[in-house]
Amino acid sequence: MIRKTSLMGTAAALALLPAMAMAERGSSGHMNIIYWQAVSTMNPFLSGGTKEMNAASIVLEPMARYDETGELVAWLAEEIPTIDNGGVSEDLLSITWTLREGLVWSDGTPVTSADAVFTYEYCTHPEGGCSYRDRFANIDSVEALDERTVKVNFSDITPFPYLPFVGAGSPMIQQAQFADCLGARAPECTDANFAPIGTGPYRVVDFRPNDVIQFEANPNYRDPDRPFFQTITWAGGGDATGAARAVFQTGEMDYAWNLQLAPEVIEQMEAGGMGELLVDFGPLMERIEINFTDPSPDLPEGERSTRMHPHPILSDIRVREALSLAIDRELLTEIGYGPTGKPTCNFIVAPPAMASPNNDACLTPDKDRANALLDEAGWEMGPDGIRVKDGQRLELLFQTSTNAVRQDFQALVQQDWREIGVDTRLRNINAGVFFGSDPGSPDTYLKFYADVQMYASLFEGTDPTAHLEQRRCGREPKPDTQWQGQNINRYCNEEYDALWLELSREADPDRRQELVIALNDMFVQDYAHLPLVARGRVSAKANSLGGVILNVWDSEHWQIHDWYRIEN
Amino acid sequence: MADGAREPLVQVRGLKMHFPITSGLLRRQVGAVKAVDDVSFDILPRETLGMVGESGCGKSTTGRAVLRLYDITAGSIRIEGAEIGSLSQTALRRLRPKMQMVFQDPQASLNPRMTVAAIIGEPLDEHTRWGRRERLDRIYELMDAVGLNRNFANRYPHEFSGGQRQRIGIARALALNPAFIVCDEPIAALDVSIQAQVVNLLEELQERFGLTYLFISHDLSMVRHIATRVAVMYLGKIVELAPREALYADPLHPYSQALLSAVPDPDPSLAEKVERIILTGDVPSPSSPPQGCNFCTRCPQVMPVCREIEPETREVSHGRFVACHLHDATHDPTGGRTPGTRQEPNQQGVTR
Amino acid sequence: MFTYTLRRLAFAVPTVLIISLIVFLLLDLAPGDPTADLPLTIPVEVREQIRMALGLGEPVHIRYLKWLEMMLVNEPLHALANMTGWDVTRDAPRILSWQTRSPVGDIIAQRIPQTLWVVGLGYIFGVLIALPIGIISAYRQYSWFDQVGTFVSMVGFSVPTFFTGVVLILVFSVWLGWFPSMYDTTLEVRDWDSFVRQVKQIILPVSVLALFNASQISRFMRASMLDNLNQDYVRTARAKGLKEQTVVLTHVLRNSMIPVVTVIALGIPAVFSGAIITEQIFRVNGLGHALIGAIYANDIPMVQTITFIFAVLIVLFNLIADVLYGLLDPRIRYD
Ligand SMILES: Nc1ncnc2c1ncn2[C@@H]1O[C@H](COP(=O)(O)OP(=O)(O)O)[C@@H](O)[C@H]1O
Ligand SMILES: [Mg+2]
Repeated sequence: MIRKTSLMGTAAALALLPAMAMAERGSSGHMNIIYWQAVSTMNPFLSGGTKEMNAASIVLEPMARYDETGELVAWLAEEIPTIDNGGVSEDLLSITWTLREGLVWSDGTPVTSADAVFTYEYCTHPEGGCSYRDRFANIDSVEALDERTVKVNFSDITPFPYLPFVGAGSPMIQQAQFADCLGARAPECTDANFAPIGTGPYRVVDFRPNDVIQFEANPNYRDPDRPFFQTITWAGGGDATGAARAVFQTGEMDYAWNLQLAPEVIEQMEAGGMGELLVDFGPLMERIEINFTDPSPDLPEGERSTRMHPHPILSDIRVREALSLAIDRELLTEIGYGPTGKPTCNFIVAPPAMASPNNDACLTPDKDRANALLDEAGWEMGPDGIRVKDGQRLELLFQTSTNAVRQDFQALVQQDWREIGVDTRLRNINAGVFFGSDPGSPDTYLKFYADVQMYASLFEGTDPTAHLEQRRCGREPKPDTQWQGQNINRYCNEEYDALWLELSREADPDRRQELVIALNDMFVQDYAHLPLVARGRVSAKANSLGGVILNVWDSEHWQIHDWYRIEN
Repeated sequence: MADGAREPLVQVRGLKMHFPITSGLLRRQVGAVKAVDDVSFDILPRETLGMVGESGCGKSTTGRAVLRLYDITAGSIRIEGAEIGSLSQTALRRLRPKMQMVFQDPQASLNPRMTVAAIIGEPLDEHTRWGRRERLDRIYELMDAVGLNRNFANRYPHEFSGGQRQRIGIARALALNPAFIVCDEPIAALDVSIQAQVVNLLEELQERFGLTYLFISHDLSMVRHIATRVAVMYLGKIVELAPREALYADPLHPYSQALLSAVPDPDPSLAEKVERIILTGDVPSPSSPPQGCNFCTRCPQVMPVCREIEPETREVSHGRFVACHLHDATHDPTGGRTPGTRQEPNQQGVTR
Repeated sequence: MFTYTLRRLAFAVPTVLIISLIVFLLLDLAPGDPTADLPLTIPVEVREQIRMALGLGEPVHIRYLKWLEMMLVNEPLHALANMTGWDVTRDAPRILSWQTRSPVGDIIAQRIPQTLWVVGLGYIFGVLIALPIGIISAYRQYSWFDQVGTFVSMVGFSVPTFFTGVVLILVFSVWLGWFPSMYDTTLEVRDWDSFVRQVKQIILPVSVLALFNASQISRFMRASMLDNLNQDYVRTARAKGLKEQTVVLTHVLRNSMIPVVTVIALGIPAVFSGAIITEQIFRVNGLGHALIGAIYANDIPMVQTITFIFAVLIVLFNLIADVLYGLLDPRIRYD
């Protein structure tokens, strides 16, 4: 899965270019981009938001990036280090990157391995609060071997060493600019944070937080013919509808990001005819998590939703399977996401090579089978159409964040479950509270004081190892860990843990792929959670904007240097 | 009447003031409040015509209509011989100095944001071309005339007592040397102790400037004190109009009788003779007055004819007009004469 | 009057302090987490570190006092330094936004121009339209003008700005293409051309706000005029033989303006708070947008600061309204 040649995409992009009269830097003039959620800072390490990462990605660049197929492409590095070319050590304990020759920052000074070491120090400083701190996890040291060579030493065997310095979340910053901004001083460097010096095709001319950014072509960009657009106005604010309208209907904007709109609105906008919808699917997946532990409020605080008490109803796999079989995923997708969603039955939905082909049966709901399973499990239909067992009604509390689509989903699922004799109480919680990490709040998705809950999750990059690791036994949120942890459903399966351990030590790409699929299948066939919809990334571009290749594995502006104006 | 010089100063004939009642979304007119319904009277120069009646009977409306502060529904109003009943408001402006009004509520009738000098001086600005000096002199002169301290010229109305405010109102009315002033309950809002002072001031000014008053009041003793003749109104109509003495001694209309029986007579020996007549029932609404005589619903001496035919106003004896079927038989052979045109030759002497 | 004003000002100080405490505590204690908005891929340990870096580790009273000092001393000093170039700040720490990690004061200073332009003009035009409409409607009560005015103001008041805004965009930006649907905050008026562009981009949002404001204020003006038109002093004025114009404009209008002026003054703080919805629709990134964005992102320092400034403005304009009332109405005496 790693492309061994250092492909800049240049040749490919050139092939895409129609007979452009003057394919030279700045020849396309000005471009308008709209982010309806405005960019807060140009320093991605201080934000962690996708919008900041995307904006920064046209200025700050990593050693390597993922292309639109999820494959690694060398970017600032000469090539992708592998075991074969000696870049990755045989013991899987280090990776060595070599910078391209003659690289310079936009201020004209050379890019050196010291900048990479500094980037590592900057992001791992304990007082800095770096949002991408996890990219540098399990690292003993980062050392500069010479001017252009950087070696990353891991503290543990790391079969997938492409996290530090890879992707839009781990770009290089300039030591000279940020030297005084380490740790607690990071926020004080407003000028640097708002206009970082980078190697990318653009540099910041004017940054207004949460409003607008003006970019111009980096005069020191390594490709003398690129970028084609001389200047960019990167507007922020407004709302998703307004952004879509500006691309599709009024033509004021060339590119709009993240158009999470109702399917019928999108359809209506597209009728404007001035733009084109871009959809691509990444690892983002909307699911219903099933609580394996008892959330009963009768339990003492500190024991609710912990492994001390298994769930009285949902510990039975037959019930979980019945719940899954009752849901009409196609309908949910159509109503909630239209062209921007795909129904799914998998935990790992992307990249395509990692997505299991073995679970598609759940796409067709089967309420008869669901009913049969519940009968078999001893849940008898009560007079009010709700099943009962040992005097207990089959009643579930279903929580999620406040969000129109999620509330639609809740209602539809409630209806589906009602038909198999399951009564569902619905609850929605303000997103800021639900996804907050306040250990004092009873309403977070981490506490999971409910029987089932719905949200979407994803993983960064193309490697799902860390994502799969989250469901290991012991990684669940619990009082001992201040309710931190991502094993949201409190899943615990020795077999799963053993298989994951194998994956974590495996370096061979093909075998890794098999293991990922096996783990996925084990998890979803245990009905540990109920995948619903794979959600796409949705953007829009003007018809006159050429060269855009949507990429869900990296910043969607990853090859903005190839974007150009289609003349007609 | 030989007294040709004593042509009436104010001559009102068939005055009607109906306020439309509208309803519904489109505000269609569905009826009218007949606040003043066919009223006629004369006021001679330098005379004071008192106008009495229960609250709501249309006294104020009559007073305002006579000064054309309303666009009247029908009728004719002549002041100093000039017909103003149908004049436009613009044309009227020129005549306004001749006729003025003193309002009931001295507080509400003075613009709270203007000083005394501005209030009194404003009509001067509008109707004269005087300079500052002249204007100020006149303001002081008027303030002196009504007994206000000149030093208070730059104060605002709210800084004065009720009596003083009414003096401001009077000074304002006098500013342009009017001939005719409608005093609409000028003392009703004042303390009893001050009422006499203001009435005396009005009398004094009448004497000094030769004013003619229409003095509206529901205080019958005050009217008796100041008026030469008195008109009694009931439900938009004048039911009786007579010289003061005659009316108070011998009211002809049952309504006048009831009204006057409630007044303590200044002469206690007389008081015993009059027993109080207590009227029962409510005053009908002016938007739907009863058929026949307006007073028939409450009249202690009601006859069948009263519910059928509206009584005409007749001069039953010299200068005494009444609209009541009780007096149909005794009606003056010269009947059909308009009330008020006949006067006692010595009437002028009676006032003072 | 003067001593009254001074006394009210003196009273305002503890008021403002209490408001600051309430604003701080309310927002501080409100549920919500500045890291909640971050992608779920960011691990909880990292989130905790981010929270520490945001200064959330300290006890609440220390944070309040620090914030108060920055709010009342350091930020004004910085503003002064920015305006005059004097070095008075001695690098005193400033209130930092959690979203942008930059001084809140700078962001607010950046946002004020567009807010004042758009929301302020919307207010001014609203008032300018409202006054004559209110006056004529009252003077010609129940005339067709009044009926139409009543209908339009009912519509203007009850139809939300997000609806009028979108309708205007659809008509004037999408169909006719006359005006842009998005406001460009970077546009600088330098010559005739850029002036025309500024006018074009400001027309739609200003119209939406002007309609909304006008419908409110015109109703108020009308009611106040009607109150006064039936007063005896108006009859007095007519009896004086004044021109109708003088009667209405000097007597009735001046008295009717007293409450209207106070209402207008009390509405001014809302101009500074921005017009959240209109700003959102037309992408005018003013203070309203900054506030709502900060609320969504749980950027508490930003919310605290804007709310506090807003509260101070309300206190201030209440005072101004009171003083104005006293100046306009001789009946009111403050001592
Ligand atoms: N502007 C008006 N519109 C409608 N009705 C009125 C108006 N002014 C007075 N009226 C009505 O006319 C009648 C007479 O009122 P008014 O002349 O004020 O009585 P008075 O002065 O004798 O107490 C009352 O029923 C009153 O409600
Ligand atoms: Mg009256």
